Amino acid sequence: MGTMRIDGHEIPFQENDNILKAALAANIEIPYFCYHAALGSLGACRLCAVEVASVDPAQKPRVVMSCLEFARDGLSVSVSAAAARQVRQRVIEFLMINHPHDCPVCDEGGECHLQDMTVACGPPYRRYRGRKRTFTNQYLGPLVHHEMNRCITCYRCTRFYQDYALGDDLGSMRLRNEVYFGRFQDGPLTSPFAGNLVEICPTGVFTDAVFRQHFARVWDLQTAPSICPHCSVGCNTLPGARDGTLRRVRNRFHPELNRWFICDRGRYGHQYSEHPDRPLTAQVAGVKMSYREALAAAAEQIKAAGDKTGGLGSTREDLESNAMLQTLLNKLSGRFATFSDPQLETATAAAVAALQSSGGAPSLAEIEQADAALVVGDLTAHAPMMDLALRQAYRNGAKLAILHSGPCLLTRFAATTLTVAPHEIGAQLLHLNEQAATASNASNQHKKELADIATCLTTAQRPILIGVSETMSAPEIAALVQLATALGSHARLAYALPGANAYGTTLLTPTNSTNAVLEAIELGQIQTLIVMGNDPLGDARLGARWRAARQRLSTLIVLDCVATTTAEAADILLPVAAWAERGGTFVNYEGRAQGFAPVFQRAEPLPNTVEVLADLAHCLELTLPDVPAVLNNLFPGYQTPFPGTMGPSLPAPSLTMQTDTTIGTASITHPGHWQVALTSWYGDDALASYAAALVELAPAAAVLIHPTAAFKEGIEDKEQVRLRGPAGTVVLPVQLNNDVAADTIALARVTLAQLGVGHGDLLELERIL
Amino acid sequence: MNKQTPALLIRLWHSLWTTLRHAWAKRETVSYPEIKRPLPGRWRGRIVLTRDPDGEERCVACYLCSAVCPVDCIHLQATQRDDGRRYPETFRIDFSRCIFCGFCEEACPTLAIQLTPDFEMCEQSHGELVYEKEQLLVEGQGKHPSYNFYRHAGIAITGKAIGEGVGDTPPVDHDTNLP
Ligand code: SF4
Ligand code: SF4
Ligand code: SF4
Ligand code: SF4
Ligand code: FES
Repeated sequence: MGTMRIDGHEIPFQENDNILKAALAANIEIPYFCYHAALGSLGACRLCAVEVASVDPAQKPRVVMSCLEFARDGLSVSVSAAAARQVRQRVIEFLMINHPHDCPVCDEGGECHLQDMTVACGPPYRRYRGRKRTFTNQYLGPLVHHEMNRCITCYRCTRFYQDYALGDDLGSMRLRNEVYFGRFQDGPLTSPFAGNLVEICPTGVFTDAVFRQHFARVWDLQTAPSICPHCSVGCNTLPGARDGTLRRVRNRFHPELNRWFICDRGRYGHQYSEHPDRPLTAQVAGVKMSYREALAAAAEQIKAAGDKTGGLGSTREDLESNAMLQTLLNKLSGRFATFSDPQLETATAAAVAALQSSGGAPSLAEIEQADAALVVGDLTAHAPMMDLALRQAYRNGAKLAILHSGPCLLTRFAATTLTVAPHEIGAQLLHLNEQAATASNASNQHKKELADIATCLTTAQRPILIGVSETMSAPEIAALVQLATALGSHARLAYALPGANAYGTTLLTPTNSTNAVLEAIELGQIQTLIVMGNDPLGDARLGARWRAARQRLSTLIVLDCVATTTAEAADILLPVAAWAERGGTFVNYEGRAQGFAPVFQRAEPLPNTVEVLADLAHCLELTLPDVPAVLNNLFPGYQTPFPGTMGPSLPAPSLTMQTDTTIGTASITHPGHWQVALTSWYGDDALASYAAALVELAPAAAVLIHPTAAFKEGIEDKEQVRLRGPAGTVVLPVQLNNDVAADTIALARVTLAQLGVGHGDLLELERIL
Repeated sequence: MNKQTPALLIRLWHSLWTTLRHAWAKRETVSYPEIKRPLPGRWRGRIVLTRDPDGEERCVACYLCSAVCPVDCIHLQATQRDDGRRYPETFRIDFSRCIFCGFCEEACPTLAIQLTPDFEMCEQSHGELVYEKEQLLVEGQGKHPSYNFYRHAGIAITGKAIGEGVGDTPPVDHDTNLP
């Protein structure tokens, strides 16, 4: 837009840039605390003082706050001017008056903005000999540690927590030089993004409570660019390890995805790799063995089974391992699948096909730009950072509409919320389609809401439709695609997929393979099953069937890094390296292939999945092509994405959408039966459920029912009820929840697994009188 | 006779005389180890970890000594006691690598790590020169008898709540807006 001069350097700036922003973009250092690219300027810290020459040479230059002053063409700025330097020095000196003598016991030390700025601008010694103001601290839950004495009142925490992430349980209190940042009362922070306080706070007020348990200084940490393995968004992260253990995970800037932030699942989920029960030694029939011995045993079984070998890949394993497992099974003429639930397979395949045909999903940065959005399902629990992106859209005035069956954090910000039982979602989407296409008045009990949603989507310039594929069926996914088509080419479509590599894995999954594998096992056509990073025996809906099928297998070989139900039932268990201990590629919901680098090695390194498969092939005297060759064959023109780069989109042959997309029109009511909705929460996925600190925050298991529905049945709050499912019976207390649809009970994933039912199934509820 | 000869002779005699003089001079060398010389207190020898006046470990496991060490011979792992005190779970110095530069002592913000005048650390193997915390931690405060880091720090430990440190005011009650 123009140029200005800073200490003799000509630097360019954009329209509406302030001096500080333009200077930072041009790599010129101006000290600052309270400015943040995501939060903007506030002028709270007064550290960013610079001297600006007056246009009129007769007038003296002025000292201004560079974060509050717009860059103007021809402006002449001096960072090094004595007057500006003096202001900055005084600011630091005043901040240090009350600052505790804490650096040695402060976890921020070494990466503390205040330390850096004090060394850069401040006087070397404290002249003030008076007494220091002090604050008591609060217990903020297992994730964030609070040490309020170290605050410099930059307001970054509340600006992030309240203004940016729209949380409401952390704020500023009191006045003058005694401003306090905390909660009304002690208690865990409720925002799914609370962990970002650790990074956003320039001092040691908020520090990582998990890292603290096993603390190391930042200069001792081994780091490498990585990708979060906990959901399909694929946020860029920077794990830090020391002495062969993983200590923490931080955000790594990606301009189109997570940018400056990650969710708490991504930040704290890594603890699964340090779980005390993590399998670290190979086992054959429950007996610990060396890797070589277990490998030989596995090879023997596979040889004996020949083409009666099956393989189950996983959506949480990288592209390389899934492709190699598929290749190995092709060599053996065995069967290959990647999901443990056929419904999930068809739904995910439909979602991936839809994403491919709709011209690619919007990135998080694009979602932030939306002016209307329809979300189907509980987005926060399945793709937390997509939720944060939508919150930005909401802040910018976007209208959100939510179609859901169970508890959903985003409803707070929704202009329209439609809460319907799982079976009815499809029908509502069809109605919405009609409304969007013809603006007709559908005869429906939710007429008003539907009309509202339709108007807001059709009038929007940049509407976005987001579906949570795990709680949608293939026809519902297709209905959402139709809606996107009806809205026109400016409408964008995104799906939260189940697993960090769900997109990539689905491209490798043969159609209807899960059913085929499961039936083949039941018919005795598969004797040896290789399960890689998957947990069929712990599947919510089909766990019981898999467990029964498992009895028909002669050998179950499991490759995993967590102690799942399947790993515990394995005949041969081959522990593998967790994601930070190896490199690989995840393909996120946009189809962006992102490489992650090995961060560290354990004291006794474990082989990675690809190595185990290669060793297995070697024992079987098979020659497998190497990984690049395999991937190039599958995805012509494939280039291994280099960790730390933007991530190219995967050149994939497109999947065809299953044409059978009929939706049962009306919901069938089943007297005495309830429809089950999955209620998840932001800290829950197959891996993060082994992270101790996160699990501490998991909502207590309960049967969530809408108050009206409960009243109709005469069920009271906190009353114990019995649920009977195909796999077992559980007794749980009822919890009334306004976000649950009528005729629906919302249950957590663990409860579903105990019962053996899935999202949308029917269940009987029995009162214990 | 060469012109230089007298000068050479003088120099020769001079060195002979010096040798002769030293043969009867007072000995500087002592028969170590039977006789030991007193060393100044600031001598940089074997490293110890000292305790504060309350008898508690001074080291707060801040990693500054290990960071500053030019030969990287200090290794520790921080942990925390239930009473809020930070301490090193393990603390290891490899004396076969240590060059006794004293940087760690200079860096230590709690005056915990100190070099002592003891240099007699011969061992049969390198391994035995790796000292663990049990061998490093001593009773007593070493060169700095009175310093107690936690009395000055802002964090709370059992026996010293927030606002009870040296030079602290009582904590602000953030539940009220009254002055
Ligand atoms: S916030 Fe920074 S300056 Fe303050 S005690 Fe911590 S490390 Fe030191
Ligand atoms: S707590 Fe941290 S982020 Fe918040 S105002 Fe204080 S220093 Fe700034
Ligand atoms: S949104 Fe997903 S990928 Fe991003 S940090 Fe959270 S769990 Fe990880
Ligand atoms: S510098 Fe001092 S307090 Fe810090 S780790 Fe070393 S001995 Fe402990
Ligand atoms: S950065 Fe400008 S006043 Fe804080």
